[in-house]
Order: sequence, then C-alpha cells, then structure tokens
Amino acid sequence: MTSPDNVARLRRAAPAVLLLVVLVVATMLRPGAGTLRLASPDRSHVDQLRQAIGDLPSEALVLIACDGDLGTYPEIRATTRAAIEDLGAHGARLAIVSFTPEGRAIAAAERDRIARSGAAEPPADLGFIAGAEAGLVRAVSSVVPAAAQGPTFDAIRQRGGGIGAFDMVLIVSGSDISARSWVEQVGPRLPDLAMITIAPTFLDPELEPYLRSGQLRGLLATLREGTAYADAVTSGPAADRGPGIAPLPMLVGMLAALAALAEAASRRLARRARRPSRRPMS
Amino acid sequence: MNGFMGPDLAGTLATWVAALATIAVWSYLLGYRRLFVLSQHLLAGLATGYLVLLAIHDVLVPRLVTPLIEHPRDHLLLVPALALVGLLVGASWLPRRATAPVGAILVGGLAAFALGGAVVGTILPQLAAALPATAVSSSDLAGEVISLAITTLVLLAFLHGAPRGALTVRAAMVGRWLLIGGIGGWLGFLVVSRLSLLVDRLAFLLGDWLTVLR
Repeated sequence: MTSPDNVARLRRAAPAVLLLVVLVVATMLRPGAGTLRLASPDRSHVDQLRQAIGDLPSEALVLIACDGDLGTYPEIRATTRAAIEDLGAHGARLAIVSFTPEGRAIAAAERDRIARSGAAEPPADLGFIAGAEAGLVRAVSSVVPAAAQGPTFDAIRQRGGGIGAFDMVLIVSGSDISARSWVEQVGPRLPDLAMITIAPTFLDPELEPYLRSGQLRGLLATLREGTAYADAVTSGPAADRGPGIAPLPMLVGMLAALAALAEAASRRLARRARRPSRRPMS
Repeated sequence: MNGFMGPDLAGTLATWVAALATIAVWSYLLGYRRLFVLSQHLLAGLATGYLVLLAIHDVLVPRLVTPLIEHPRDHLLLVPALALVGLLVGASWLPRRATAPVGAILVGGLAAFALGGAVVGTILPQLAAALPATAVSSSDLAGEVISLAITTLVLLAFLHGAPRGALTVRAAMVGRWLLIGGIGGWLGFLVVSRLSLLVDRLAFLLGDWLTVLR
C-alpha cells in the first residue's frame, strides 16, 4: 500500500537514487584504454616523490607513519600501496608505526594484506604510540618496542633506536597527526630527515606550502596525482592494489555536480527576478 | 577488491557485514532513519570498544603494568605518573584543588607542544619561504613576487577593527576575493575527493560483494 507520505518520500529521494543507479552503470562500463584518463598530466609532484625514493641509499630504513583517516583512506589507498611497493622495489627496509587509533587499524589491515598476498615481507610493526604530538616527540629518541625482535628492529636499535635512525619517513596523512605535525615536531629536531607524504585532498592547501619551502621532499595530495603516481610505478603485483578509482563514474559524478550547481544558480536567479524591486518610487 | 578481506570464511563474513552496513547507511537516502541511526550506534559502540582494547593492549599493559611489575626500580617515574592518572580518573569525586593542577599540566603541556611546533616548524620557515630569494631566475622571481603579493593581500583581508585608509580597504577587498577564489578551487577538489569515496564504495559493492566486476 502506498501512502502519500511514502510517495512524497520516494519523490524526494528520486534524484539521489537516480544518481546512484547512473554511477552503478558507469562503474560497470569499461571504456577502452586511453579513452578516459584520471591521472594528472602535470607530473611535477610525482617526479619529486619518485626522485626522493630513488635517492635512497641501498637497504635504506624507511618508516611508514600510517595515520590515515578511515573516512578518507579509500582516496589514497591505491597510492599508499603503490608507494609501499615502490619502496620495496628500491630495496628499502620498512617499518610501520601509528600515532592515532584509526591509523593503527589501517596499518594492521595493510600488514595483514601484504602478509596474505605473500609477494613481500610486511613492514616491521612498531605498533601504536599514544600521546599524540607528545608521543611523536618521544618517538624521536625511542620508537622500537622493548620486546620487538628481528633484523629490522636490530638495525633501528643500532642507529639509535629513534626516528633519526631512518633515512626517510613516508607519512600517510588524514587524521589529527598529519604531515603538518611531523614538520612542526620532528622537522626542527631532525632537520636532515627526508619526509614525503600522501594525503587526501582536503589536506592539500595545508601541506602544499611545506613542499614549496622544502620541509617536505614529496607530496601527493590529490586523486589525480595519486593515480598518476600509481600508474608510473609498475613494479610488483599491481593487481593486488585493486583497480583504483574508475574515471567514467568520476566524470558522470562531476557532470551531475555541475548540473546541480547550474540548477541551483538558475533557481536563485529566477527567484531574484521575481522579487519586487526595493527602489522607492519617485 | 580493496584487498582487506581474504577469500576465507572470515573474509566473506566481513565482506557481507561491510556491504549490509553500507546499504543500511544509504537507506537514509530513501528517508528510512531507523537503519541509519542503528548504524551510527554500531559505529560508536565499535569505536569505543576498539579504543578500550587498544588502550589496554598497546598502552597500559606494555608501557605501564609490565614495566612496573618486572623492573619497578628502572621505572620509578611511572609511579608518580600512575598517581597523576589516578587523580584524573577520580576527578569527579576528588576535591578540585587536587585534580585541577593535573589537568592544567596536561593541557599546558599539549598547548606548549603545539605552540612551539607552530612557531619553529611553520611560522618562521614559511615567513622565510614567502620572501623572494635573490639567487633565482627572473621568471621564478616574478612568481615569488606574485606569491608574496597574494599572501600580503590575503593577510590584509583579515584586518578587522584596525584603522584603515581607502587604499588598505581596497587591498583587503582584493585579498578577500582572492581568498574566496582559493576556497572555491579547493571546494571543487573536495567534490572530486568525496565523489571518489562514493565510487570506491560502489566498486566495493559490485566487485567484492556481488563479484560483478571480477
């Protein structure tokens, strides 16, 4: 039985449901290779990040600071995985640490995924460090858990046991402890430490100045840059990273957003045209 | 295809739970609030339980309890730290004079970290970076001068209540429009960002759950 309330509810929901259906169809359609490209044609950020990784010495120690946000991590997931593969392909010895609970959940899931795939050794697990920025500062002098055993942990201990033991830090940003916290708290204490970051789009305006000032050696903070980087990294089992974001549904969604914007603007203009003039009559 | 769920029974169960939770959240689009509210409660409950487990497993036991039991003499500083934590936990029934200094130390310490980092790590280096360097090519120099001009105009837009002349007011207006333009461009990027999250969820439903995309 359809009551007027239900009909009104469905009428209100119709545009959103229609958009979902269109996006589903667009996701299922596979346009030919090269027809649509999501990757940014400007490769400057990609080249900077690849050069920073390429400059690493052999068997470099690289710390992955995994502090992404569960809500926005899907945007940078493929890029992060590509960067981990890229570092592995350059022979880096990886360790992973988190300073936020959400980041710890993502780090544990990524370690499980790498271990399950069997393609590479998962990064050495430095666990979760509490205390937000105070914890970050404490990790400068000591980051290895007391009970941790293994060649990577031994190598970190031999070099001092803190963040300074690493040749580079890859910061997976998104939560409260982002690359900005690293630049502010760790940068002044360890000025020679190379820092690169992968961040969701909303952090781009905050982090771009640090790239220009040289405080960050590399930054990928938009979907298009991330896609360009993931395309550029060809080593490792690329299929395991997942298909990434398909360009066709993105195009359809953007057109829908533009249409909604145009509709809102035309409605506003029509309302203004109908409004009586406020100018007093002479 | 997001790679988090394995092909075993646990992975299949996790995929089903994730898919049903996604559909429960999307039911809000059709105006059905109950499933959406239930999903919110589920998220809040799970997050709280996870935080408690993380605090016990990764912080309290390995960094407080174990050192105090195994090597108490090597970790004497943990004893006053434990007393401070006890004071914070009992803040609701202990006298305010006893608990207030602990809270003040905590807040003051965090503020000092944040402020010191902002000055040394952001303000001073960014001030230096905003100034045009003398040893750059003319095209780079032009770009740096333009950047400095935009930064100055946008900063002028934040002048409130200060005595202004006609020129400053106009410059502040230009700065405000530059600011609006920048925010507009950023919002455009944000739309793309949020859309990518929706497309990713659709790909999860079609690929991992329904296996249509495989």
